[in-house]
Amino acid sequence: MRAIWFVSQIALFGLIASQMINTQEIPDYFHYYVAGLSVMTLYSAAIFIGFDIYEEAEHGVFEYLLSLPVSRRQLVLGRSIGGGLRSFIYVGPLIVFSLFVIGAINPLSFAVSLIALFLFSFGVSGMSITIAVLIKSSDRFDILMGVLDALMVRLSTAMYPLAFVQKANPFYGWATSFNPITFAADLFRWGTGLEAIITPQNPLLPFLGVVAFFGLFTLLGVTIYERMIEGGGWQ
Amino acid sequence: MVEHDFRNFFRYKWWLVGLISMNLTDLFIMAIVYNTILNPSLSAQIGGYFNFFAPGLAVIGLFASAFMIGREINMERRREVHHYMLSLPMTRLELAIGRVLSGGLRGMLYMSPLLLTCFIFLGFPTISQLLLILAVLFMLAIGISGLSIAIAVSTSSLEKFITARGLVYYTLFFCSSVFYPLSLIQSLGASGKFPMALVLLAEINPLSGASDMIRSFLLPGYSFSYTSILNVAVFSAIFTFGAAFAYMKILERK
Repeated sequence: MRAIWFVSQIALFGLIASQMINTQEIPDYFHYYVAGLSVMTLYSAAIFIGFDIYEEAEHGVFEYLLSLPVSRRQLVLGRSIGGGLRSFIYVGPLIVFSLFVIGAINPLSFAVSLIALFLFSFGVSGMSITIAVLIKSSDRFDILMGVLDALMVRLSTAMYPLAFVQKANPFYGWATSFNPITFAADLFRWGTGLEAIITPQNPLLPFLGVVAFFGLFTLLGVTIYERMIEGGGWQ
Repeated sequence: MVEHDFRNFFRYKWWLVGLISMNLTDLFIMAIVYNTILNPSLSAQIGGYFNFFAPGLAVIGLFASAFMIGREINMERRREVHHYMLSLPMTRLELAIGRVLSGGLRGMLYMSPLLLTCFIFLGFPTISQLLLILAVLFMLAIGISGLSIAIAVSTSSLEKFITARGLVYYTLFFCSSVFYPLSLIQSLGASGKFPMALVLLAEINPLSGASDMIRSFLLPGYSFSYTSILNVAVFSAIFTFGAAFAYMKILERK
């Protein structure tokens, strides 16, 4: 299903929409969009760990996990990394496909951007776990993640460069500048050699942004997970 | 039957609020940013992306919500709730038409705030134009509902239904004039960059017909065409009766 969405976004929307764009402003929108789409797909896949938590709670697996001889901290960290890794493996073939579409890459910068994408997917999994544990209702979680997905993807550089978001609305531009999807998308483009059309000149800034995002949600996830589930708190 | 399906629809009211806000995000963020990066000649031709996209968004909303009935029918079939449905004191035809009709009406209900938003920003049509818009959108909604039911009763698992729905969604959305003008797809086809079969699909796509009809009433530079209404009517007739027939036959067979 995700593969159908991905391929149709590239072969239909990406191809046609690239003909609408002002080539003076964005010379190669098609490749720009393909790179952004990979990050959008990774984000959506990493969010799914939250749904697994509800399913485990429904089937009583939660109690089993709590009884394992690991600390709560190890448990939530393991889940964040597991969720991130799983989504990365899941989206891996799609990323390879997008690299094939984009073309040549610089191996060193691509390796750096790949590490950043790993951290990004761990961070998104941590965020999903944190929200799932806080909300405790799969329906509300589903709605909130849908709205959050729409806002985070639209207010990022996944679909358009930052300069144009700022031009459209300064508030949108401000929100886009601090969005982890922006950091991940810019780094991925830098790694794939599309850096000419990304906004930040220094890739260290988005890299630090992704690391901060990962650190924040891992810490939050550990703290909230510990507080919310003890003594039947999940119920 | 219609009342039953409407009650089900309102059980997901927060989900609907979430879906509407997602649609509005497309309009108030994505379309506004696309306004700034659009090719200037195309922008002049379509009158800005925001204006162009607003009618398309109402059609997307209609499609997504009218399609929801299929998921419920697929679930009923898997959980064998259809045995209860078949035991109700009504004919099979009434049952089938009721389901198609309620799917369409739910689509109209969901789409109305999006259409109103479109009117607020683009201007209101005349009464006769409004009635024509509502009539065509209703025809489209029952056609979509029928298509969704036909897929739901022909697929045995939720995964198969969701995959088929994805294929239909993306093909019909992206091969239409909802997101971009039809002339752009035609020019890509003429230059050999896009398969002519998909160009033809975009031309006869009822989503293109409905979007362009609304644009012809609200935006300058668009001419009204009876062909678009004909496309919607043919689509609607095929899928309404096709789905009703499939629903009756497949439910009785199980």
